[in-house]
Amino acid sequence: MESESKRKKESPNTAELAVTASFPDEVLEIVLSLLTSHRDRSSVSLVCKDWYRAERWSRTQVFIGNCYSVSPEILTRRFPNIRSVTLKGKPRFSDFNLVPPNWGADIHAWLVAFAAKYPFLEELRLKRMAVSDESLEFLASNFPNFKLLSLLSCDGFSTDGLAAIATHCKNLTELDIQENGIEDSSGSWLSCFPESFTSLEVLNFANLTSEVNTDALERLVSRCKSLKVLKVNKSISLEQLQRLLVRAPQLEELGTGSFLQDLTARPYADLESAFNNCKNIHTLSGLWEAVPLYLPALYNSCANLTFLNLSYTALQSGEFAKLVVHCPRLRRLWVLDTVEDKGLEAVGSNCPLLEELRVFPADPFDEEIIHGVTEEGFVAVSFGCRRLHYVLYFCRQMTNAAVATIVQNCPNFTHFRLCIMTPGLPDYLTNEPMDEAFGAVVKTCSKLQRLSVSGLLTDLTFEYIGKYAKNLETLSVAFAGRSDRGMQCVLEGCPKLRKLEIRDCPFGNEALLSGLEKYESMRSLWMSACNVTMNACRRLAKQMPRLNVEVMKEDGSDDSQADKVYIYRTVAGPRRDAPPSVLTL
Amino acid sequence: MIFSSSSSSPSLAAAVSNNNERRDLMSTCTDLNLGLSISLSPEQRQRLDWPPIKSLLRSTLNKLAEKADENDGRHHHSQQYGSLFVKVYMEGIPIGRKLDLFAHHGYNALVTTLSHMFTIKTTNILCPDDSDDHGRVVHSSSKDYQYVLTYQDKEGDWMMVGDVPWEMFLTTVKRLKITRAGRCHS
Repeated sequence: MESESKRKKESPNTAELAVTASFPDEVLEIVLSLLTSHRDRSSVSLVCKDWYRAERWSRTQVFIGNCYSVSPEILTRRFPNIRSVTLKGKPRFSDFNLVPPNWGADIHAWLVAFAAKYPFLEELRLKRMAVSDESLEFLASNFPNFKLLSLLSCDGFSTDGLAAIATHCKNLTELDIQENGIEDSSGSWLSCFPESFTSLEVLNFANLTSEVNTDALERLVSRCKSLKVLKVNKSISLEQLQRLLVRAPQLEELGTGSFLQDLTARPYADLESAFNNCKNIHTLSGLWEAVPLYLPALYNSCANLTFLNLSYTALQSGEFAKLVVHCPRLRRLWVLDTVEDKGLEAVGSNCPLLEELRVFPADPFDEEIIHGVTEEGFVAVSFGCRRLHYVLYFCRQMTNAAVATIVQNCPNFTHFRLCIMTPGLPDYLTNEPMDEAFGAVVKTCSKLQRLSVSGLLTDLTFEYIGKYAKNLETLSVAFAGRSDRGMQCVLEGCPKLRKLEIRDCPFGNEALLSGLEKYESMRSLWMSACNVTMNACRRLAKQMPRLNVEVMKEDGSDDSQADKVYIYRTVAGPRRDAPPSVLTL
Repeated sequence: MIFSSSSSSPSLAAAVSNNNERRDLMSTCTDLNLGLSISLSPEQRQRLDWPPIKSLLRSTLNKLAEKADENDGRHHHSQQYGSLFVKVYMEGIPIGRKLDLFAHHGYNALVTTLSHMFTIKTTNILCPDDSDDHGRVVHSSSKDYQYVLTYQDKEGDWMMVGDVPWEMFLTTVKRLKITRAGRCHS
């Protein structure tokens, strides 16, 4: 055996090493199968050939952050025993309509490869992939053990595809359909679950719009005794919700339907009692069109809530404050800015355990009407919630001093995403750029992994980021910076940078090319509406064969300008499924 | 209902040229240290790519906003002619409030409501303190006012509240503003 001969050659001092090397492969595989972190497994596979081999046989879950970084063939060749696949496709800016249609990231070729090599596949989690009904039908028919389907921000399919899943996947435990751009023609897919089907544990169809058959839904909920997560869509009324809750008191996560209905006293009491009976609910969402009148029905349930998602509920500050008083255990909160600073003050006063806050703008497109939250709300939360480490905050004004105070109160930020909605807005009190704000963030928050900047920013911000943000992995920049130097500072400075997305900044070829050696250690770079030319992109592509350099041109733009550039490392070579609007250099 | 993942080409092109304009604007502003906020044109306002909000939330918010406009007419008691909501801003407070002018019978009622909304003493607002039978203002020049109430009319001009009869005011008012006395041009 290889390991025996290794042992003979080694000196007595390395006796320990010899013992390790003599582990039979099977034992090593068992040990390694206990490793779940993808990064750990990647490290393990680099130790030596034995470990590489044991790791690849024992790996059952794979995470692919960019579907074009590897091909189905390469994947299936290396890992023969995969049961769970997570795939991410389009660049994140496709969420904001910056990526042309038919860009790619089609799941079908992967499914065909999986059908051949992983017929025992159980789980598929897709984000920003193109998924057709045909693919969903293929999935439903070719994987008898299939258990979990999660589609986040995907597009291209319709409710017909969901019907195929419901009809054929007899072992399904999870169906999670979130934020997808799909054709929602009918709710009849839900009725396709056979009467014999009882394994469902997670059902999330909150973002679909068609009415489903409520009788079918009730029967489904009744017979699936392990159902833990139920997130219904807006078509489900309060009375229908009550009937569902009564049949599923074991629920842990609930997404309600419409919270607006004229309830007389008796149905309201029934609703309240149904909520009280669900003692395990820790996550609550939905609450479309919630009228404050019915919110008290939730108060008892709120005592154990750890995650409250009000992003579809326009509550005013008073109503919201009354609700939040009942949520002392809250760890994650998503709200609309209709709650205003006063609402956020109530959060600061009542939710000491808060770790994550996301504030979305209710009226993002109206420049004239000024309302929403300001720096004061954010500051108030930081004083009351010292464990805060994840924030996504949309506002119309901010000051450097406020941000400095915030990070002084909460130095443990891992995710700091601040969106001052008017591009290029300075500190409204001092009229200075917001450089010092983000400087404070990177200097104080040593654990920072993700940063989104906004407001009027010079290159100084990026000097700070490059100098201090040693753990930064994802950086999003829009309408900022003065010269190439800004981007260069980041590329030279942030050792752990994986994703860099830039739009509408004055960064050009010098900046792009300064990152030549960096891009292979990153997942991807996106640059749009900057000052990058086609020639620079061609140079980059020529010098770095293991990067794919893709350019998307806009109609009517200069031939020499590279309007949108997407650069990513890959072992699969240039892709062959790009549409005409995407040029691979 | 299909959410398309891109806008049509013409608006994208417009967005690009607008971007270049905006960047030029921005560099001018920083050069001159004007610190001006960049105001977006109506086309830019309806952009599909800024602010960075996902399509689904974006369309849901649009519907919420439309509904809010509808509901404002329904939730509040409206008089014979419905309701007339205008925004009121107080200097130094970035968040404006909405006010139904039809729910008030005259300037006095308006001032009373505003003083409650913004916790100012009624007597500190320069506006009508007495009105004659036609709802016209009788200014008391001997008082020491801290705040001045103005309104923006249909033509975009800022006028002192109370300069015209109440009914006429209602036909022309677009929004209200409370500023500190002494800053007023008149």
